[in-house]
Amino acid sequence: MEKFSYIGKGMKRIDTACKATGEALFAADLALPRMLVGKVLRSPHAHARIVAIDTAKAEKLPGVKAVLTAKDTFGDKWGVFKYTQDQQFLPTEKVRYVGEEVAAVAAVDEDTALEALSLIDVTYEVLPAVYTIEDALAPGAPQLHDVYPNNLNIHVFINVGDVEKGFTHSHLVREDTFSAPEDSYFQGEPYAVAAQFDHAGNLEIWMPNAGPHLKAKPLSNVLKMPLNKVRVRKITIGGAFGGRSEISPADVICAFLAKKAQRPVKIVYSREENTVCTRQAHSMIAKIKTGVDKEGRVVARDITCHMDGGAYSSTGPIATSVPFLCMEQAYRMENVRYNGYRVLTNKPIRGMFRTHGRAFACGVDIQLDMIGEALGIDPLTMRLRNARQTGDTTPTKSYVASCGLTETIEKTGKKSRWAEKFGRLPPYHGIGIGCNSVQTGFPMGIRGGSQAFIKLNEDGGVTVITGIVDNGQGNDHMIVQIAAEELGLTPDDVQLINADTEVTPSDPGSYSMCETFIGGNAVLLAAQDVKKKLFRIVADEFGVSAEQLSAKNRKIFVTKDPQQEMSIAKAVRMALTRNESISGEGSYWPKVDWRREWVKNPSGQLSETFSFGTVICEVKVDPETGQVEVLEVTASQDVGYALNPKVIEGQFEGGVAMGGQGGMLTEYLQWYEGRVLTPTQLGYLVPLAIDMPTINNIIVETIDPKGPYGAKEAGMSVAMSAAQAYCGAISNAVGVYFHEYPITPDKILKAIEEKKKQERKG
Amino acid sequence: MRLPPFQYLEPTNVEEALSMIGIHKETVKIMAGGTDLMNRMKLRLIEPAFVMNIGKLRNMDGIDIGDTETVIGANTRLKDIAVAPLVNKRFRAIAEAAFQVASPTIINMATIGGNVLQNTRCMYYDQSGIVLNGLERCHKRGGTVCLAVKGSKRCFSVYQGDMAPALIAFDARCVLEKKGSIRTVSIAELFTSNGVAPFAIGADELLTKILIPRPEGIYSSAYRKLRLRGSVDYPLASAAAFVSVANNRKVSAFRVVIGAAGAAPKVIDGTSREADVEGIARKAYDHAEGVDNLKMPGAYRRKMVSVLAKRAIQAAMDGIKEGM
Amino acid sequence: MNEMKKTAITLSVNNETYDIVAFPNRTLLEVLRDDLHLTGTKESCGEGVCGSCTVLIDGTPVRSCLTLAVAVQGKEITTIEGLSMGEKLHPVQEAFVNHHAIQCGFCSPGMILTSYALLAENPNPTEKEIRRAISGNVCRCTGYAKIVEAVKSLAEEGK
Repeated sequence: MEKFSYIGKGMKRIDTACKATGEALFAADLALPRMLVGKVLRSPHAHARIVAIDTAKAEKLPGVKAVLTAKDTFGDKWGVFKYTQDQQFLPTEKVRYVGEEVAAVAAVDEDTALEALSLIDVTYEVLPAVYTIEDALAPGAPQLHDVYPNNLNIHVFINVGDVEKGFTHSHLVREDTFSAPEDSYFQGEPYAVAAQFDHAGNLEIWMPNAGPHLKAKPLSNVLKMPLNKVRVRKITIGGAFGGRSEISPADVICAFLAKKAQRPVKIVYSREENTVCTRQAHSMIAKIKTGVDKEGRVVARDITCHMDGGAYSSTGPIATSVPFLCMEQAYRMENVRYNGYRVLTNKPIRGMFRTHGRAFACGVDIQLDMIGEALGIDPLTMRLRNARQTGDTTPTKSYVASCGLTETIEKTGKKSRWAEKFGRLPPYHGIGIGCNSVQTGFPMGIRGGSQAFIKLNEDGGVTVITGIVDNGQGNDHMIVQIAAEELGLTPDDVQLINADTEVTPSDPGSYSMCETFIGGNAVLLAAQDVKKKLFRIVADEFGVSAEQLSAKNRKIFVTKDPQQEMSIAKAVRMALTRNESISGEGSYWPKVDWRREWVKNPSGQLSETFSFGTVICEVKVDPETGQVEVLEVTASQDVGYALNPKVIEGQFEGGVAMGGQGGMLTEYLQWYEGRVLTPTQLGYLVPLAIDMPTINNIIVETIDPKGPYGAKEAGMSVAMSAAQAYCGAISNAVGVYFHEYPITPDKILKAIEEKKKQERKG
Repeated sequence: MRLPPFQYLEPTNVEEALSMIGIHKETVKIMAGGTDLMNRMKLRLIEPAFVMNIGKLRNMDGIDIGDTETVIGANTRLKDIAVAPLVNKRFRAIAEAAFQVASPTIINMATIGGNVLQNTRCMYYDQSGIVLNGLERCHKRGGTVCLAVKGSKRCFSVYQGDMAPALIAFDARCVLEKKGSIRTVSIAELFTSNGVAPFAIGADELLTKILIPRPEGIYSSAYRKLRLRGSVDYPLASAAAFVSVANNRKVSAFRVVIGAAGAAPKVIDGTSREADVEGIARKAYDHAEGVDNLKMPGAYRRKMVSVLAKRAIQAAMDGIKEGM
Repeated sequence: MNEMKKTAITLSVNNETYDIVAFPNRTLLEVLRDDLHLTGTKESCGEGVCGSCTVLIDGTPVRSCLTLAVAVQGKEITTIEGLSMGEKLHPVQEAFVNHHAIQCGFCSPGMILTSYALLAENPNPTEKEIRRAISGNVCRCTGYAKIVEAVKSLAEEGK
């Protein structure tokens, strides 16, 4: 008998047929009776005091049903953390970036709403603004918030071992600075929110989110409503990539407008609003100093990273820490010091982005290449020598229960024929490698666990109820796949109610990669709970012990004597005839160190397990234009266990596109002071099908002891390693190590020209 | 994104169209494929009182390959030009240019007339209110400053059309009709080199035909375009080359036209007898204008104009060798 | 503001006739989504770049966000909703589902229609031709790899 019916198979997802037909509803597709169109008025200034807002003319415009300003809200400041409460959503005193929300209207149609916005008179007193990290930190700089002196928002300090001693004992020490401007999420779906209140004052709200429960609580705080009256509903979501994690001003504004108008309101963002007014990724400057021994093993590392956080904290402490944490997980080092500074500027708000800081990730890796060159060690060997191993403990005290990093390095090396190619390719033809590691969640206090319920029908079908959310990566399918497998049913027998805060129990959300590990485990436990109960009934009936039973193909049977079987439907009805209600419950709380805190105590078990990956990339560079042709990419990741290999490959391929092709070649925001000059699809260039290389996927499975069926995560790591591999490959092709990203053709051409000049001199 | 309000006109023949623009003049904007006009209207760069759809005009599309002259109707879709076998054979640069405009779906809609007459572009101009509100109006918007080049008294917007350089390389002309009169000018003469008002066309004139003289002797051509991605994007630099040889294999005509290098395509050399590729490349660089108002820095784009000029010439000369 | 009057527009969409009264400045995309409630066609950029708004007009893919509704009267418009055959998926849709060519699904309607039109014109495209044909359809999730595989599978089957 085959071990698994569905787990481990590349079966098609349960949720994609309705996306193929266009039936799947995204937030902007919703049409509720008497729904109004909401629009937001935004600040034209980067930094200004709001002197007065006159909405009288707008309110009088026929067709306008509600006008909203800060005075219609409670004005409380909100923050992801208690110590980062700095955002009002509709500011009362001043605006801090171009595009910040100032007022909003709800009207019968879009044209009326737009006209109403033009009738709102805002008097500003323009204040001096800061647009760079340097300017923001300079003494006497205009302050964005009173609570962050010198505009220093977050300082993460990690110090393990003795870095200075480590350097003195190093055979070779290098210090380099790496930098990159902002990347931008550019999810396929521009942000949209729809909200309505019912007769009893319950709020129903739909928006793309990476955790409905993480949206419901702030909404309940800001609207001063109990949680059970705030229903964040399930909706099809068009991508998140880290940018839809916490509450957004649009959510709050839409809810307040719906309340005021006593009608449903929908706000649909333009592409520009999605780029400017939701989240962007941080720009970063990373100064990395690394000391190694004769064999290239890292002895000490000292990193100082400044990131431009924009005007508010958002997930600041997390965003400031994760780039470092990913690196300390991936590579062994005894002595390490990290100073991460998140600085505020009068620019749009920055959040966590899948690649989590290309300057940081690429900097660490390309420096290994540089050190390797000086020592005569090739980049792949440098990775092998420094790779994290199973059973290690990271510098910040996370135990690594399973680690397949070495396996991913070796397998990508073999598939890409690294040994044949490195150092042997023709001029302007290069190969590069990158490694990284990603956590499966982090301590999230009372919201760090996931719970699932399973309801059974008398005909043997079930409904799984869980807070897990799907941003497009396939989490809905994962739930059904796990439940069907464990219960011995088919996927068709499993209905799903998820990501609806009225009904579904709390779940941490789908970012920093915990849905499979935490959410999936909860579903698995709930299914096992059901199975235990049904097995007891069947065991009773057959006169065997429950351990002797199995469930598969809608039947429960004696494992060693399958003829003794009972349909699951019958088992359910049998329970009911005994007046026993049957349902399942499971909850999973990862064994992490709940005392660990980003700033106050950055030490202790961060997540129960970590994934590890390697990417190798091969490129050709046109020396006259500096343009890069990417020939082939091999991506490998230790995902623990591939619940669905095709779904995982999709994450690898998407990660290569976002982190490598886009992140290293074309993606960056351009600025005119605090204004984004590239908010559209023509200004910010995401990868197209015509430019993508062949991608080889190698799934490595270490069968994590705690993950559901051994699974860990697969959504984030490849994006980071792809960025590093592209960087390494281009540097190898040109013979110059690049420190500034993305590596656009003008930079490549300049490097080639300067190299030629140096060669002529020497 | 919402379009601004306008009245819609849909003439069914050219006379009707000419009559309408004769009456309404500057208050009418002409819609061919719509791919340039619609975007400019959504950004509120223009808010015309009338939009006149010329898509239904009879006899304004079609490729008529003649012995001495080829006539392409202004409404001919770029896709049809890109795939037409005889255009590929006889006017290769023009087919290559059409093939490389934007993306495959856009060239299903876009017309040759519309592409030639697309407005100049600049990162500081082609933006909506979310970027520009609160800033001074630039020259192209009727103001007095340049946001791209501080202190500049003139506009640095860039002409990024793909078809015009290729057409000019073939010495193409166009027919402009208005009520009561008709004139024919070279495509090169359509351009003013003034980013604020890039075209020397009256508000009551309609571009109806493109005329391409058949070159004599053995010749070939090429169009090269630089963009960061392999599709969708406007050119950051471009060059079209036309080379013809006499029976004794000596170059008899040589034309290189650079694009995305200023507010108008520029002919680099129309009379050279020698295929001095390096010299042409240097001249292309000298004539190219490049400031930091598009996706890549101006200095890089100027260099690329030069590289593309070289590559276009080389490709054209290779084309002659292949016996085209 | 310029004056504007509503006008009667008759559209043929997915072989059904719709009579609406709308302002001439309504795009085909707006009319499809807001007036006809055919929300399968999406807006992701508004400027004709991303391909999410792709519909077929007389079988040819066009950008509905750059098309005026009033200008396409008398033409046959096909949206993603017009592709499925009752309760069965169209072979192109089926291939996308089977090959995992859909993740978040936002680009999928446009991507599927573009692929359908490619195969109608060129039943046996090479990978290069496929990548070029969908080069004007932006996908942020898949890296395009499985989309290309899905279309390739249809080419081989001669569907």
